[in-house]
Amino acid sequence: MLSRVAESLFWMSRYFERAENTARFLDVNFNLLLDLNRISPVENPNYWIALILVTSHKDRFDELYPEYNARTVTDYLVFSRDNPNSITSCISLARENARSIIESISSEMWEQINNLYHFLQGATPHAVHNDPSGFYREIKNASHLFQGITDNTFSRNEGWDFIQIGKYLERADNVARLIDVKYHMLLPETEEKKEITIESDDIIQWMAVLKSCSALEAFRKVYLSKLDPENILRFLILDRTFPRSINFSICAAEDALWRISGSSRHRYVNNADRLIGKMEAALGYAAIEEIVSDGLRDYLEDLEKQLVRIGEQVHLTYFAYHTPEIEPNGVEEALPFTGVGGGRAIWSQAQQHQQQQQ
Amino acid sequence: MKRFFNRYEAESERFFDEVFSMEGKPRPHYGKLLQRFGQFSQEEINARKEIINIFFRNQGITFTVYGVDEGIERIFPFDLIPRILPAKEWQTIEKGLTQRITALNEFLFDIYHTQKILKDKVVPAELILGSKHFAREFVGVSPPLGVYIHVTGSDIIRDNDGNYFVLEDNLRTPSGVSYMLQNRQALKRAFPVVFEKYKVRPIENYPQELLRTLQEIIPNSKQEPNVVVLTPGIYNSAYFEHSFLARQMGIELTEGKDLVVNNNKVYKRTTRGLERVDVIYRRVDDSFIDPLVFRPDSMLGVAGLINAYRKGNVALANAIGTGVADDKVIYSFVPKIIRYYLGEEPILQNVPTWLASNPSDLKYILENIGTLVVKAANESGGYGMLIGPESTIAEQEQFAEMIVANPRNYIAQPTISLSRHPSFINESELHGCHIDLRPYVLYGRNITIVPGGLTRVALKRGSLVVNSSQGGGSKDTWVVDE
Repeated sequence: MLSRVAESLFWMSRYFERAENTARFLDVNFNLLLDLNRISPVENPNYWIALILVTSHKDRFDELYPEYNARTVTDYLVFSRDNPNSITSCISLARENARSIIESISSEMWEQINNLYHFLQGATPHAVHNDPSGFYREIKNASHLFQGITDNTFSRNEGWDFIQIGKYLERADNVARLIDVKYHMLLPETEEKKEITIESDDIIQWMAVLKSCSALEAFRKVYLSKLDPENILRFLILDRTFPRSINFSICAAEDALWRISGSSRHRYVNNADRLIGKMEAALGYAAIEEIVSDGLRDYLEDLEKQLVRIGEQVHLTYFAYHTPEIEPNGVEEALPFTGVGGGRAIWSQAQQHQQQQQ
Repeated sequence: MKRFFNRYEAESERFFDEVFSMEGKPRPHYGKLLQRFGQFSQEEINARKEIINIFFRNQGITFTVYGVDEGIERIFPFDLIPRILPAKEWQTIEKGLTQRITALNEFLFDIYHTQKILKDKVVPAELILGSKHFAREFVGVSPPLGVYIHVTGSDIIRDNDGNYFVLEDNLRTPSGVSYMLQNRQALKRAFPVVFEKYKVRPIENYPQELLRTLQEIIPNSKQEPNVVVLTPGIYNSAYFEHSFLARQMGIELTEGKDLVVNNNKVYKRTTRGLERVDVIYRRVDDSFIDPLVFRPDSMLGVAGLINAYRKGNVALANAIGTGVADDKVIYSFVPKIIRYYLGEEPILQNVPTWLASNPSDLKYILENIGTLVVKAANESGGYGMLIGPESTIAEQEQFAEMIVANPRNYIAQPTISLSRHPSFINESELHGCHIDLRPYVLYGRNITIVPGGLTRVALKRGSLVVNSSQGGGSKDTWVVDE
């Protein structure tokens, strides 16, 4: 398949997943503040700063808004066009990517992306503040519907695998960030290495984290009511059966990558396969006690870095300009990778318009 | 019929009405259609309109309007009432176009080879050699089968008396054929019954015919040639059409960056490496198609493509440099071109044309600017034109200045009141709207014309401009056997 088509499928899927996860971040925060009774009159800005820290650049936010509160953070993460990771920006980018490969996806998929796009165009901050849960549920459901439609209308070919890679790399990254949110909330900036404590507020926060992954019920089935942080982390990071855990996501991305290249457990043919295999093995043999004692923050940070590198290698192997001179050559050093990819060539927009229409 | 057509005013004394004769009677080939439409109630019409709107929206059938930032994608307006061409009239059009396109192709071959017609002074050499569309680089290069213009769409209009004229030839990258196909599908879905009583010639095979044409011009003898469509990208106003045609033909839609030239051969970049490409149906203008030869700042083209083409390693449809023959100045020479190469009289007439580069014509144009249509020779899409009777004095003066400054770039024609056809300008009101016709001509081993074409409608009351960028819409077009 054309590299460009593969790349657009990858990014379409990735942006959609990113939008869904941002909705989850926001939803959980609202719930949390309600549970903790902190939403007003005195809003605790720490809870909102945490969201910005894990999803975006604090500097960019600071340039645009005077303070951290429900209104500004929601605006930035849902509506802002200046934030490339806002829900609106993500869905616009997913749609642009889909539009450029409209002949390669099913018309039902296109319709669903379009529906969500138009829903967001019509949404107002006012509506979100009136019913935040309803709004975020709308986004989550739209994403689930899109995945279901894709599942039922897209042929199981190479394109399908690129859709899966985009989705699961993004999801693994987002779950790591979500766990991070919890840490930012827990720890005042001075106390970097505070022990994991079990206080009542803390349990509520952890439950919120689970809920935001739609994981609370699945967790309870495994651990009954033993809601302690280690179990929760074990579930979110290492569980092999829950579809929003990091380990599950990495396995799914690995399967897709290996299907494309024909790699197997014993033989890899490119760096993307090698790195994901390495990560999958590490997760498979990790113990949560080790992760916690070595430092969870560092672990998560390292995980996010590895995910970026896998993304880079997928880019180099399958999407980058494919000529013999710049074929990936086994060296791990990758080209700079922004993480905002599939950005359609907006710079050539003017020229595309200029083509004379006869 | 009562409901809708009673209030309809054909104004047949001022315009040629496609449906009603001078006496206000329906023309014979429209009889059954009017009867059928007469049985629909207002509600039924509305419901069917809704079916069609949903059909177009779901298909994403949109076009892009330049200069509008928000909501740039609009649905191309579709009018419910089909335009009917009796087989006999169509036969004339078909013959006339075949003759015209054959002659224009010979003309292109000639001016890119021996230039006999210039030496014989039938067409002034400076018009060709000085044209910005003349591709010097291609003199002496022969495209496969000697064909330059594989896909063309000439615009045909009717005057007050119903005579057919060719208004312009589009020999570069004519668009709109996807609307022709979708209009038929939409109408079949909404009004299956109106098809019952007519033998409407099918058009659905256009994508297959186009693919066959593209496969015929393969430069090598490969069994399964790799054919692709080349689009400028999603921001181009005809992007929907490019992707639609690729889907219908079952071939890949590529952008410039998907293609790479290595050792004068063209490849597409795939996830499995490079794959050879043999034929490119390109919808990118000449000047953007190869930054090494034409505009160096082009980001839409493929570097090295032209050399690969010159070496005969890839075929392009249409060929490079065909714009030299659809220039509005060259247009006025087409009757002579037909006589020169084919020794025949033109079957389809030209609209009388004055060339501003001709001093006596220039004088006439400037004196009569208020009654003429003035067009820039190289513009298309309804841009860069002045419709005398609808313009202000200031606009006329501005155009006069432009004409005097660059006479080679302007022509003028009498304002022809295009024929009119009843069309819904809103839900319940029929109005006579001006129409034209663009049949699509395919040229590979021989010439094929899918019956009918795209009828464009000026849906703004009284407007003569049918281009989609200027508020035009379209109709399904039937060629009907009696």
